[in-house]
Amino acid sequence: MTAPTPPRPPASGPPSGPPSGPPPGTPPLAGFTPPPAPTGRPVWPPPEATVVTTGVSKSFGSLVAVSEMSFAVGPGVTALLGPNGAGKSTLIRLLCGLTAPSTGEILVAGGNPRFDREARRRLGLVPQQDGVFERERALEVVKLAATLSGLPDPEEQARVALNTVELDPDMKRPVGTFSKGMRQRVKIAQAIVHNPAVLVLDEPLNGLDPRQRRQMIALFHQLGNEGRTVLVSSHVLEEVERFGSHVLVIAKGRLAAQGDFHAIRDLMDDQPLRIRVHCQRPRVVASTLLQGGSVSGVAVTGEDEIEVTTTEVRTFRRAVAVACQVNGARLEEVVPLDDDLESVFRYLVGMGP
Amino acid sequence: MREIVALYRLLVRQQLTIGRLVLTGAFTGLAILVVVVIARAEDAVTQVESTVNFISVFGLGLMVPILSLVLASSSLGHLVEDETLVYLWIRPNPRWMLAFAAWLASASVAVPVATMPLMVAAAIGTGGDGQATFAVALSMALAAMAYTAIFTLLGLLIRRSLIWGLVYLFIWEFFVARVGQGAARLSINTYPASVLAELTEFELPLAERSLTNGIVVPIVVSVVAVALTGWRLNRANVA
Repeated sequence: MTAPTPPRPPASGPPSGPPSGPPPGTPPLAGFTPPPAPTGRPVWPPPEATVVTTGVSKSFGSLVAVSEMSFAVGPGVTALLGPNGAGKSTLIRLLCGLTAPSTGEILVAGGNPRFDREARRRLGLVPQQDGVFERERALEVVKLAATLSGLPDPEEQARVALNTVELDPDMKRPVGTFSKGMRQRVKIAQAIVHNPAVLVLDEPLNGLDPRQRRQMIALFHQLGNEGRTVLVSSHVLEEVERFGSHVLVIAKGRLAAQGDFHAIRDLMDDQPLRIRVHCQRPRVVASTLLQGGSVSGVAVTGEDEIEVTTTEVRTFRRAVAVACQVNGARLEEVVPLDDDLESVFRYLVGMGP
Repeated sequence: MREIVALYRLLVRQQLTIGRLVLTGAFTGLAILVVVVIARAEDAVTQVESTVNFISVFGLGLMVPILSLVLASSSLGHLVEDETLVYLWIRPNPRWMLAFAAWLASASVAVPVATMPLMVAAAIGTGGDGQATFAVALSMALAAMAYTAIFTLLGLLIRRSLIWGLVYLFIWEFFVARVGQGAARLSINTYPASVLAELTEFELPLAERSLTNGIVVPIVVSVVAVALTGWRLNRANVA
């Protein structure tokens, strides 16, 4: 469970700014930087920050999707973590100018992307939705993005971007015939083709297989290490662990916490975590896992599926690989179940575990 | 400029589906077939007037608005519905560029598709009368321009714009506009119909404007609708 550690974004310290974050009474978290509080210090926004929100709220009628959010992030990979419905996608839409905030101010790459074309020129977005131009070839989609970004040789740049995400630029098939993983890579290619200073990705690993996920995470780290701000949203804690050490935790439309990932990881270690394992010979593997003591509970939930409960994730990961190996069972997939995140998020927003 | 060309090429390709091509072919075939029937059934004196009347009712009243609606409502509307607008909207181009490219993509298909078969029909029905053929071409082109601009905007503004566009055509353009002078002024159809009537010197339904008004108003409507589309794009909430 070790993850590459990208350079820590410079804005991870406690910036001053308008009130934001968890409601009064939220327990402080060890290792976590609380969201900015009004201290009166004139350091907002931090000079290195490339993405800054100041008191941003967004309401849809009576529904408050994002509430009084203030944070600043700089170069490197920052994960935006929150359960489904927490307000991550709305926040991403706000950051990219796709919708206007009800109150507050957003600065991305020095401008408001909703109206500032130069800010949009320095911004790349991988939206969550599956749809890409179905009837076009991948090269055409990415070439269009390059052309609209004003690049001098759009086709060449499009080929480079497609090669970066391991797609063949000369593929004749239209995007509509692509698998979900291939579409996802087309979306990433169109977002990076113009070398943006700020790259925003909404659940970019959806639909990718484990090898592609590793490759994409390595790409995000590479982009972050090159000095870009890479903001990646996810509702899967295990993914976020691999994105990087800096996280923004969103819950119920509020910035619940921001700071080092390992603090949330430690918090998770105290929580029982449910994990689904897809493998051959699930009964035998389940029995071996129980005997090994790395799990506190196990249930065979399908022909090739077991579900375990554990508080020792790192130990379990090693144990499940060994259990499959000694029983001659092929290990297909290990999936942490989202429900377990909810307890952490509830804790972060002060509702108790 | 190359940004507009890139947008235009994408949007044209998005519009040209098999269903739309079949609809276009059906309208084209029907227009020519009816004119051939008129040409055979009527004597030379009434044949020209019957042809112009048919083109006014069928071409201006039905074929051009419906073809324009089918093409233009999908121009941006399809991007909104399948959530691909974001890929164009997020780019650092002025939004009028996208509005203009969307209209151009619809108009550049609708104008020839509406004009050419009706010109052929006019040529057949009038025995090759150049003035009548020109009048048909000009009035159809003006109508297609204005309708595509309005329906491009409609596609951006509302979901199920095809259905709402049909409701507008059948209630306002086909019914209310024919009831009174005031309503007719607010009908697109009245202006190209006036151009057709003025240039062919036949009396046609709704043709109560001057030739100048008939030419200028559809152009102004097109410009205003494209400008409104760009303005709306600037303020859109994009999914």
